[in-house]
Amino acid sequence: MVSEDVLRTHLQELRRGTVVVASLVALRRPDYGYALLQRLTDHGFPVDANTLYPLLRRLEDQGLLTSEWNTEESRPRKFYRTSDEGESMLNRLLDDLAAVQTSITGLIQGVDR
Amino acid sequence: MNTLTDRYLAATLRSVPAQRRDEIATELRASIEDMIEDRAGGGEDAAAAEREVLTELGNPDRLAARYADRRLQLIGPTYYLVWLRLLKLLLSFIPALAGTVVTVVAVVDGRGFGAIGPGLVVALHVAVHISFWLTLTFVLIERSQPTVELPDWSVDELPDVPAHRDVSLVDTIASVAMLVLTIGYLPLQHYQSWVRASDGDNIPVLDPALWSFWLPALIVILLAIAVFEIVKYRIGRWSWPLFAVKALLNLAFTLVLAGLALSDALLNPALGERLSWLADADNRGLVNALIALGAAVVLVWDLIDTALKTRRRTT
Repeated sequence: MVSEDVLRTHLQELRRGTVVVASLVALRRPDYGYALLQRLTDHGFPVDANTLYPLLRRLEDQGLLTSEWNTEESRPRKFYRTSDEGESMLNRLLDDLAAVQTSITGLIQGVDR
Repeated sequence: MNTLTDRYLAATLRSVPAQRRDEIATELRASIEDMIEDRAGGGEDAAAAEREVLTELGNPDRLAARYADRRLQLIGPTYYLVWLRLLKLLLSFIPALAGTVVTVVAVVDGRGFGAIGPGLVVALHVAVHISFWLTLTFVLIERSQPTVELPDWSVDELPDVPAHRDVSLVDTIASVAMLVLTIGYLPLQHYQSWVRASDGDNIPVLDPALWSFWLPALIVILLAIAVFEIVKYRIGRWSWPLFAVKALLNLAFTLVLAGLALSDALLNPALGERLSWLADADNRGLVNALIALGAAVVLVWDLIDTALKTRRRTT
């Protein structure tokens, strides 16, 4: 039986990159930090708040997200949205994700590429 | 206002770049309040919810490091191996070298056995300094932007397989220990030769006049031989260049020793006062000749032995 710790580490490794993909997809519809966190969780991408908030900043710095402050509600919220640049990178990432899935399927079925 | 949230924000923002501090503060506060509100809406006590949310966000220094994209390690995997290799390389000889130099200077100064203390202290100081400054340099490199380009590893750097060692660790340690004892004997006999003058003063076995040059020279040669033994162990097998160095060092030592003996400059003339047998010139000549002969025999024996080992290794 594989120990829980080993399993958790591998799952973490597997999941790490997908948070970026999931965020870029989800932010095609603008949203603020906590709402995005909930949406991701609801869609099966549980992510820690202390990972997601700094990640959004970093993606914004890289030009993959744009942001806008919304001060109309009870508290000021920063809404992020996937930029054009983010969209084209997202497409590359999605292609690669699909390629990984295809490769794995092929490997499982023993079919040569 | 000094709520837990305020304290958490202050702790986080302390180490976030100043130009983005306000923006991050507003956003993070809103996020925290969202999270608390969500939990409190589920019927939870607001204070308990606040604690829970902040606990979930974790150590503020870690969160700040994520915001600032800062390294949470002194030296990361990029530079660790280079750092370790340099550290080993520098520590392998510089402290020993510095300590040896200080010891030799102190011996020449006539400090006798007291010469070992300062040498050890200097070696330790040098080792600590090397470790600190090298590590500090790498800590700065780790944090430098842009990143420092390191030469790629290449297969040419692979060390030889230590398949068969001609030189065992035990032999090396024994040789070095013998050399150190011999080096130690030279100052020791000056102060404690177990030959006493009639007034109880110590009579050195070797002529004290030799301390002006020849005994320090012998010590330097012996130290060189000790360093050679260690280098030889690191290389692990005999080769003709290695043989040549060994022959040269041993020849130097034997020539000095035999030369001093044959010119009757080795033994302390004062010994004759105590050991009347030595006062006789013929007897002194015999002892000197035996010393020279003994040194020559050891030299020749050692050279033949080493030459045989080297030939076996190289053919």
